[in-house]
Amino acid sequence: MEGQEQLMLVMSNITKRFPGIVANDHVNFALRKGEIHTLLGENGAGKSTLMNVLDGIYYPDEGEIVIEGKRVDLRSPLDSMKHGIGMIHQNFMLVDSLSVIENVILGLESQGFYIDKKSVADRIEAIARKYNFRVDPYAKIWQLSVGEQQRVEIIKTLFKGARILILDEPTAVLTPQESEELFGILREMKSEGKSIIFISHKLNEVMSVSDRVTVLRKGLLVGTVDTASVTERELAKMMIGRDVLFRLERKEIEQGREVLKVEDAQAHNDRGIMALNKLSISVHGGEIMGVAGVAGNGQVELAECITGLRHLVSGHVTVEGIDVTNATPCTLASAGVNYIPADRLGVGLVPNLSTVDNAMLRKYRQKPMCRGTFIDYGAACTYADGLIEKFDIAVPLRNAPIKVLSGGNMQKLLLAREIAENPRLLIAEHPTRGLDVGATEFVRKTLLEERDNGVAVLLISEDLDEILMVADRVAVMYEGRIVGIVDTHHVDIAQIGLMMAGAVGAKA
Amino acid sequence: MLRFEKRDKTPVQLRVLVPICSVLLGLFMGSVVMLFARVNPLRAYGAIIKGAFGSAYTFSETLVIAVPLILISAGLCLVYRMKFFNIGAKGQYIIGAICGSYLALFGPATMSRPLLLTLMMVLGTLGGALWAIIPALLKVYWNVNEVIATLLLNYIASYILWFFMYGTWGTRGFPLSKNFALNAQLPRILPSPSRLHIGLFFGLAAAVIVWIIIRKTRFGYEARVLGENERAARYAGINVFKTVIIAAVISGGLAGLAGIAHTSAVLRVLQLEINSDYGYTAIIAAWLAGLDPLVAVGISVLLAALEAGGYQIQIVMRVPFGIVGVIESSILFCLLAGEIVTHYRVTLTRRLAA
Repeated sequence: MEGQEQLMLVMSNITKRFPGIVANDHVNFALRKGEIHTLLGENGAGKSTLMNVLDGIYYPDEGEIVIEGKRVDLRSPLDSMKHGIGMIHQNFMLVDSLSVIENVILGLESQGFYIDKKSVADRIEAIARKYNFRVDPYAKIWQLSVGEQQRVEIIKTLFKGARILILDEPTAVLTPQESEELFGILREMKSEGKSIIFISHKLNEVMSVSDRVTVLRKGLLVGTVDTASVTERELAKMMIGRDVLFRLERKEIEQGREVLKVEDAQAHNDRGIMALNKLSISVHGGEIMGVAGVAGNGQVELAECITGLRHLVSGHVTVEGIDVTNATPCTLASAGVNYIPADRLGVGLVPNLSTVDNAMLRKYRQKPMCRGTFIDYGAACTYADGLIEKFDIAVPLRNAPIKVLSGGNMQKLLLAREIAENPRLLIAEHPTRGLDVGATEFVRKTLLEERDNGVAVLLISEDLDEILMVADRVAVMYEGRIVGIVDTHHVDIAQIGLMMAGAVGAKA
Repeated sequence: MLRFEKRDKTPVQLRVLVPICSVLLGLFMGSVVMLFARVNPLRAYGAIIKGAFGSAYTFSETLVIAVPLILISAGLCLVYRMKFFNIGAKGQYIIGAICGSYLALFGPATMSRPLLLTLMMVLGTLGGALWAIIPALLKVYWNVNEVIATLLLNYIASYILWFFMYGTWGTRGFPLSKNFALNAQLPRILPSPSRLHIGLFFGLAAAVIVWIIIRKTRFGYEARVLGENERAARYAGINVFKTVIIAAVISGGLAGLAGIAHTSAVLRVLQLEINSDYGYTAIIAAWLAGLDPLVAVGISVLLAALEAGGYQIQIVMRVPFGIVGVIESSILFCLLAGEIVTHYRVTLTRRLAA
């Protein structure tokens, strides 16, 4: 035990359940005074949940939190703040049109009716000076760069007297130079005796900045280790797990010709930052190409570029030899490109419309549904019934809004609709996320069937187990490009983990 | 402490209950105001019913008001399903009336009556459509909020009408055009003094056609998909630009047609007051009808009855006509507030002891 050490915070047996999932399953976590402690894990490992519990956003179902030897009950971020906990979220909680000063004092109870801006500004500058950075207290937030905004967030927590700082993937939005500066600030704060929890899945950062690492996987605690005593490779293994994987039955089929070819693709994300950096990939008929990677490394943008929902800045996309670069979704549909988007209800389906309306979404322009200007709803119902029967979708009322269906049945309908179009290329993005075991297996089997029928399948998933289970090859994405392609028959999981975390560039 | 939980689905009872309660609450609000005016609300509502449905003549006058409401609300049902919140029917109505009246006032006197009337109706429809295309273009090109754009265009339209009335179209310094010639008057269908006109058939036809568009056509399907989920619409290959523009044209065109039909058949003169507030009342009709144009026909008649009866109680009981506005606004207010109950389950919980 660590009883002798100066413990700042102990979280023991924290359990937090959400409908259908245990996000934290009896997790223990201890933070020393004056240390930088990384929380490491894949997406969905439960890192954010644990920290939201500490920040008072979620209240745990079980477990207790002890700060400096005293048991505390954290029911709101305000409670946490009073106990010296400050969290810097991935999406900054700043008001763009207000100044730094106004943002810093926002929500502070100690402020009276009249705000003494001068003294607040002095204190902000004093804090900044202490940690060797600069910030203009009178600047408006929208005038600041992302890195500067992050510093305002840090000042905000320090101003409120935080002794425990939680940073949720702080480098995700920063350039490498900004990240280095941030690490400098963190080390400075550490020497001041502050305790810092750093959430990340970039191994090189973890190794360079933190003293200890706690690894979570699928809601469970894997272990806590001293950074000095482990290698990146060992951490990657802890993060991903070393379970022997079971591969689904598959026919050995001859690989077809090249269906999808993406060359040097470049595209922006929604914030206008380059998300694809000269990415190239090719997928053949009769193969499932898995795309592994930590969320936010360009996977979504890749799928959207191929399906015509996002504009390519440069590069080419061809499907069966035909150039479909920046083609409309209509053209791509006739080229045989089908898409199972991650955001089922946001992109794939229309929640408030009926099963029938949703089933014909991509087919309403074709016979027999389309009769000139009119839609033959009788034919549409027949068509929907066909899908419902073939895929065994539980639909209580086919004219009721689709949002009443369960997640699994929605996904089945989406899958049925897309496969019914006889795709040449099927792009499936996190196709089993949020589904129960039965539905998950159904989706995976369907993808394999399509592969056996000679369809090229691009499977984008954060669940590495899933990719290794169904894919023939796996391409690892990191910062907008494919850093390596590995055959899933003889795979080294630790190797993939290292590539996902950006620690290894090329194929082994 | 009140807690709001998002509902997965809305119970059917609520879909019916919310509009009914909204109407009752609206009438209640009206009663409160009437009590302040020292009028017995029950007697007043009785007078309203009598004034609206009491005789064949009063009922026909109710229908006179219902015609523009039916026309406008049919178009609104379509655009609101597309989530294009056109509240500019008032402006489209005015521009339609101005455009059609131009032909009535300055068109060739020798033109035959059917041709002149047809051209007037077409011009009025085009005018209203044009006035609706402006916010639609602003929306699809620059993502300008259509609520604000259409609302402000209402004022512009009103002042354009003022400009013509106080300017060259007025007569002898009055803000009033010369009377429409007989050739430019849309025929009435009942003997005098009833002013009910063939615009009623335009309205019924429009309601049926829009109902078919929404329920049976590709365009209606595209509009519904677009209204519910733009990203899914794009993935389905729906042309967002075309769909928004066409729907706006239909909605604006029907409002414009309502404007010129009412002006030509009922007023027979272009003036400052051409009842353009029907453009707002029709919004209530469309929402109360659950955006179904056929149901909106019935609702339009009921709201028209409230207006027609409102004129009656103003005359008979000396209750200001503004009371009708209070009732109508309260209904819409409750209806929109009712969305909370249809979308969320509201529960009362005791605050946890800290």
